[in-house]
Amino acid sequence: MGMTDAWLLPLLPAGAFVVLLLFGPYLPRKGDWIAIGAMAATFGLVFPIIFDFTDELSRHGAEFAGVANSTQWLEVPGYLELRLGVHVDAITIVMLAVVTFVSLMVQVYSLAYMKGDSRYGWFYAVLSLFTASMLALVLADNFLLLYFAWELVGLCSYLLIGHYSHLRSAAEASKKAFITTRLGDVGLLIAIILLWRDTGTFNIQEIIAAAQAGTIRTEVLTASVVLLFLGAMGKSAQFPFHVWLPDAMEGPTPVSALIHAATMVVAGVYLVARTLPLFALVEGGQELVLAVGLLTTFMSAGMGLVMTDIKRVIAYSTINSLGLMFVALGVGAPGAAMLYLFTHAFFKALLFLGAGSVIHATDRQEVDQLGGLWSKMPITGVTFAVGALSMAGLPFLSGFWAKDEILHALLDNRGVFALTLLTLPVTAFYMTRVFVLTFLGEPKDPEAHAHAHESPLTMWVPLALLAGLTFVSGLIVFDQVGRALGFPGGIGEIIYAHEPEIFHFSVGNAIGSSLLVLLGLALAWYIYMLRPGTSAVAVRTFRPVYTLLVNKFYIDAVYQAIVDNVVLGVARMVAWFDRNVVNDTGVDGAGYTTKFAGYLLKYQQTGRLPNYALGIVVGVIALALVAFSIKG
Amino acid sequence: MQTGYILLATIAVPLLAAVALVLVPSRYPNVVRMIAVGTGFVLFGLSLYAFFAYQVSSGKDFQFELQWVWIENVGFLGDNGITLHLGIDGIGAPMVLLTGIVTFAGTLISNKIEYRNKDYFILLMLLVAGVFGVFCSLDMFFWFFFYELAVLPMYLLIGVWGSSSVFPTFSRTKEYSALKLTLVLVGASVPIFIGIFATFVESGLGTFDLPTLWAYAEQGGFDPNFQKIIFPLFMIGCGVLAGLWPFHTWSPDGHVAAPTAVSMLHAGVLMKLGAFGIIRLGMQLMPEGAEFWMPALITLGTINVIYGAISAMAQTDFKYMVGYSSVSHMGYVLMGLATLNPIGVNGAVLQMFSHGVMTALMFAMVGVLYDQAHTREMSLFGGLSQRMPRFAAFFAVAGLASLGLPGLSGFVAEFNVFVGTFQTYPALGALGVLGAAITAVYILRMFAVAFFGPANPRWDGLKDMSRFELAGGALLIAFILLMGVFPSPFVDRIAETVLRLPSVS
Repeated sequence: MGMTDAWLLPLLPAGAFVVLLLFGPYLPRKGDWIAIGAMAATFGLVFPIIFDFTDELSRHGAEFAGVANSTQWLEVPGYLELRLGVHVDAITIVMLAVVTFVSLMVQVYSLAYMKGDSRYGWFYAVLSLFTASMLALVLADNFLLLYFAWELVGLCSYLLIGHYSHLRSAAEASKKAFITTRLGDVGLLIAIILLWRDTGTFNIQEIIAAAQAGTIRTEVLTASVVLLFLGAMGKSAQFPFHVWLPDAMEGPTPVSALIHAATMVVAGVYLVARTLPLFALVEGGQELVLAVGLLTTFMSAGMGLVMTDIKRVIAYSTINSLGLMFVALGVGAPGAAMLYLFTHAFFKALLFLGAGSVIHATDRQEVDQLGGLWSKMPITGVTFAVGALSMAGLPFLSGFWAKDEILHALLDNRGVFALTLLTLPVTAFYMTRVFVLTFLGEPKDPEAHAHAHESPLTMWVPLALLAGLTFVSGLIVFDQVGRALGFPGGIGEIIYAHEPEIFHFSVGNAIGSSLLVLLGLALAWYIYMLRPGTSAVAVRTFRPVYTLLVNKFYIDAVYQAIVDNVVLGVARMVAWFDRNVVNDTGVDGAGYTTKFAGYLLKYQQTGRLPNYALGIVVGVIALALVAFSIKG
Repeated sequence: MQTGYILLATIAVPLLAAVALVLVPSRYPNVVRMIAVGTGFVLFGLSLYAFFAYQVSSGKDFQFELQWVWIENVGFLGDNGITLHLGIDGIGAPMVLLTGIVTFAGTLISNKIEYRNKDYFILLMLLVAGVFGVFCSLDMFFWFFFYELAVLPMYLLIGVWGSSSVFPTFSRTKEYSALKLTLVLVGASVPIFIGIFATFVESGLGTFDLPTLWAYAEQGGFDPNFQKIIFPLFMIGCGVLAGLWPFHTWSPDGHVAAPTAVSMLHAGVLMKLGAFGIIRLGMQLMPEGAEFWMPALITLGTINVIYGAISAMAQTDFKYMVGYSSVSHMGYVLMGLATLNPIGVNGAVLQMFSHGVMTALMFAMVGVLYDQAHTREMSLFGGLSQRMPRFAAFFAVAGLASLGLPGLSGFVAEFNVFVGTFQTYPALGALGVLGAAITAVYILRMFAVAFFGPANPRWDGLKDMSRFELAGGALLIAFILLMGVFPSPFVDRIAETVLRLPSVS
């Protein structure tokens, strides 16, 4: 099992999907063991690939560009060839590790969480397909396969967000997610075709090489990069496409963990990281990524402050993190972005699964109805705290290393650096807030509190494992750790494989950012723990700001109004036009004209011989005149 | 074994079945059903055989050829004047397969027809014979004969077995829709007829044999000016049957009024006759005319895509939505043909097949619901996926194929059309991609309104699909998946022929 066999990875969960779909209802336990077995096997198979990769890396050094393997899918000889193939390099390895591990944790967790669900087998089938698609997406060596998997990822998220399909809200949320991301995908597909037009290939590496060689026309490359980014923005919930992600928590909580940590939303980050050389070649390409990322970080940090639904707070924190990753990409530091993605996957999955554990125990998800769960659910409480602090960026949890790495990359860019620093205390604030309101203080809903209990084994073990990784995954950046684990070159090189960029640690940054994080933390602790009345005062004092934030800057409302009035309005107009003008006037009009002509002409049928005779004579004369005039 | 008798059989079997049905007393409706389903099965088998026994890179232009002289060397007719000349190339082969699939699925779905089912199936069989005839004919005379044979039974099928629609603001009776559909299509065949005769006279070869005329055309036999005048006759005439804007209004009204299997066959297969005619008569006979007129066709095709999709978005009736969606999706066929490059034309033929199976599936599913609920107003439903999970899943597959989800047939076809269009008209290609996004809007809106959300207790009595409906639907889904996952069997056949077309480069 080496890197060239990586195509096997998506096929295992895909096979589980097919088996569950066809035979699920007839299998014991609806076949969940098949899904988990396939997932575990996939996770296991990632390791030989990682070892093979680090071997190659230590042999070839930074020159090693990855391994590819592909097969033909369809061909119009001489004109078009579509291939399916895999390409494994550093970015892929990071994604493979994240996707398979988080998927496995989510599937194990769902054993208890989804128990008794009326569509339990179907849930596992779609989870498997979700992971399979995401694996295919990160392994794809060409844009066609990437788009193929990209859309399947979208489909699976649609199905899973809408899993509780009897709820109107779930139906609407799933539709919103699919259509919003689909709009971005229009850009992605056009970009892929445009790039093909100038290079004659869909292969990503070949396209990058062609772009660097200058064979792609500048305006085409510019357009493609912008359109490509639209696709990434849609999937990664960047402004103005961010609206679908908070609503996506209508799905079962394990699905949220999967979407936010390992699949779906990181696809956009992955795509930009993968094609970053193209962005670098376009004037303003990286700046666009930077601007969008920064704006998104800011907006989501603000909205995260005021949300009261535990899952919604975490959802906005994801948008916040994604924005940060785009900021890193925007300044040309894919290593920092991928490091953040890697560590983020663990603590974000942890946070969502922790939230799921709370919901499972109390059947509540509004922080106004929670509180005081610390003693009832110690494991959930501790692990959630670890996740929240890591998200906040507290030293020396994994989020800290990744966040500081991004800050370091921003050093040359003073303005962006300062703005990013500003979001740190905000993030720390709302993560502390949600933790305090959920686990500490007085129970706000005694009934829910009374029934609360620690979650079963299959749920807390994934929490514990993820919490453990949240502690240690940041250490990946130290080569010594990698060597100790038996990777010849150290695993830091997995992330920093081919660029001058290496891991930096600047003490000044670390202290400064940590102080900011502590400031946010302390403020939230003070407001929500020590003086619980303060938040109401703050809301009253900053009423306009609060209203703006709690209404999500009115963006959702504006979109809804546009859809209802403009889009559907135009549609109704066109439909009206089609019925009344094209059909009733045009088509029926032709019919009525014929009928009317017949009505007029029928009076020529008098039945009197002299009239007909006259007609014949006039006709003959007329024809004769015509004939003569033509002849001469 | 490749023999023209296979193709002859696809035409003869439904005709013989029609005769057999005439002989069965109408008091045995089950015998009638058995004959119909049996015929459907045989036709499916024959077409499957014809498709897979068709050899790629055989070096021959046509396979399964058969030529029987009917009239020759009389009056203005020379050698091979009018012959029953059958044969398929890489474009005909998938079309024959499509017809076989949809016919079989249609007979399975029609199992529920109670009212005069004998007469219904007789007409259906005549229609099917006509369709197979068009796809297999290599003689203009018979081509046109079969074309008309396929169109005319629609009048009775819709008028007698159809259903009328009443909306708050307007209504469409089935008689009106039947009349409109038939008159528009027959009217549109007048220019085709004129074109055929003009071609016959202009060539001076005294034959209606298409391969002979194609060879003549390829040598530059037809004057470019003549081509520029005649090509639009074929383009518009055949285009109307393909749902060409602004002559498309027969299609939504007609398909909505038609009984389920007839909608399936008409939207699934008959609309492809139009596109097929544009290839056979237009592009192959008049390559220079095609080149001259294609900018117009690609513009109209793009309008079809966007206009159809936007109209579909405003529909509240399941079947009208599917009807307008057909108008939209046939636009991709027209766009692909009009690119005149191998990728685009390949995509167009793929889309002909893909749209055929997926729209047949959609109409079949609408029929499953309408037969029980007697209404098609989406907003009256809700939570259907809980009541009828199989039905919802099948409908969802059709919908996802139609919005171009990779892994299903629509993506393969549309991707080729997009790539082809981008080669020559990037702006129109971008509009085409946008059309696919609009499709997602109306398809998902339908799912959200009718399939998801709380179940409406009014529909507690609805039953999921019957065994026959399940079989028919599964058959269509199998081919949607086959093309979506393994497109090569289709593309290999189509591309080889497309690369030979004189106007395509």
